[in-house]
Amino acid sequence: MRGIYTPVTNLRRQVFAEIAKLAYEGGDYSRIEEIPYKIIPGEVPTYRDSVFKERAIVGERLRLAIGLPLRRADEHAPVSKGVNESAVDKRVYEPPLVNVISFACNACEEKSYRVTDNCQGCLAHPCVSVCPVKAVKLVNGKSTIDQEKCLKCGRCKEICPYNAIVKNERPCAAACGVDAIESDHLGRATINYEKCVSCGQCLVSCPFGAIADKSQIFQLIHAIKTGEEVIAEVAPAFVGQFGPLVTPQRLKEALKQLGFSDVYEVAIGADIGAVEEAHHYAHNVATGEQAFLATSCCPSWSVMAKTQFPELASCVSDALTPMVATARIIKKEHPNARVVFIGPCASKKLEASRRTVRSDVDFVITFEELMGMFVAKEIDFGDMEGEEMVDATAAGRGYAVAGGVADAIVESIHELYPDLQVQVDRAEGLRNCKKMLAIAKAGKRNGFLLEGMACPGGCIAGAGTLQPINKAVAAVKGFQQDAPLKEAVESPRIKQMQDE
Amino acid sequence: MKKVKVKVCVCTECVMNGAMDIIESIEGLKKLKVQLRLNSQFQVETDNCLTGEKHHGRSPLVMVEGELLEKCTSETVMSKILSHKA
Repeated sequence: MRGIYTPVTNLRRQVFAEIAKLAYEGGDYSRIEEIPYKIIPGEVPTYRDSVFKERAIVGERLRLAIGLPLRRADEHAPVSKGVNESAVDKRVYEPPLVNVISFACNACEEKSYRVTDNCQGCLAHPCVSVCPVKAVKLVNGKSTIDQEKCLKCGRCKEICPYNAIVKNERPCAAACGVDAIESDHLGRATINYEKCVSCGQCLVSCPFGAIADKSQIFQLIHAIKTGEEVIAEVAPAFVGQFGPLVTPQRLKEALKQLGFSDVYEVAIGADIGAVEEAHHYAHNVATGEQAFLATSCCPSWSVMAKTQFPELASCVSDALTPMVATARIIKKEHPNARVVFIGPCASKKLEASRRTVRSDVDFVITFEELMGMFVAKEIDFGDMEGEEMVDATAAGRGYAVAGGVADAIVESIHELYPDLQVQVDRAEGLRNCKKMLAIAKAGKRNGFLLEGMACPGGCIAGAGTLQPINKAVAAVKGFQQDAPLKEAVESPRIKQMQDE
Repeated sequence: MKKVKVKVCVCTECVMNGAMDIIESIEGLKKLKVQLRLNSQFQVETDNCLTGEKHHGRSPLVMVEGELLEKCTSETVMSKILSHKA
């Protein structure tokens, strides 16, 4: 469902735009109670069995967009409960980040194989022959599967000449690479937060729009409204996300119109990280001291690697992520500024609330949430001018697309240590990342550079993006070509830091 | 060959409400040349702001052969375009 605009997408974006509008207008926020009626007008339900339920779900989404917890379904509480108290200029984050709105959940069946009425009851019925546990039988001329016996191996599905056997799988669970989706007593999805790494893939994969993450736009807008210095750092995946009118120059100008005092490219931090990891590789991995080097920029990947493979934790790079490295530069140059990371990613919200990062990054919002702010402020890109972005190199900007991180590091190694040979393996999607680490654990990736990306496609496919992946890849490539400098080692920031 | 002229508004509000996805679905029609027995070309243009004024909840806006469509979805735009094919 990624890359297609569905009614779920529509609801999610309207919620962000309405919350942004509410915050800009200010005043008494108990009028949030009216927004569900605006988003779901009339008396006839469109998506669900009743218009009241539709509005209640929108109410939960509004609360999450403000950063508030979900309400209990068995206790009375207005949508506005706690909203006025949340109208502050600081992040109010309370875990968990990713939430299942349980009464929006369809309680989809857990993984199973079912025979559909496409079954012809054929003479060959190979489904029966391939089943290793005799779970498939022909009953009254139709194939049936004994769910108690079924191993869920999928062999019957593969062999059926009529495609009559289907795999039922919860889309949220299928999207979750760390198997964090479980069920409550009513069969609805719940998230095991011990396992969840907040990549957000479940929330963009649920066809019922039952999963959402908490947003910080409400508080961010209040911070901007104080008039104090607020600086944006934009992740390189931004290009092309806001439509054909929004060039990098115009985005910079639009952010200033929203009240940001300056705009930095996060790719600056990527350049720094790439060079640091190149040195680290040469000093520790090429010498055999450390088995391999795993990249650190994707927090979902690095948290998964450290928690599920604790014995490999020392092989995960400890270079600052591009978000943090850039934030520290900003705070150095503007000690009183608040830093807002604007990116494609849900898990950066969690990274920014870590104890060690909390003081560097004040807010994290996604491109989709920023779009809501543009719409609320009625920003018109049509005839906007703006300054060029010239801060980062092509290599740093390439971090946005899967493979780009490894490319940047390898190029840096070639520049700095021309005689070194580097072997690279990479994986996209946490399930594949786990497989890669299992192979590494078996000692088969010694001397390698391992790039892990939680989202299939890389950052441009993050949960907070707006455009289809293929379009976004093309846009990032164009932005890389526009970069005045190509290799990460050429970054003027690195020179500047060495001089200091 | 007949040309069907389509203009898609790509103002901020329309993009948020799926204008780019509508363009994608129009482009996708070209891949169904055989199935649709297409004998027409689709000329897709983007417009900074159709109507030149705030849309007031009518976005996304698309103009097909001079006819303005409001609150568009991929489905409504595709079928409108196909109703104009030769």
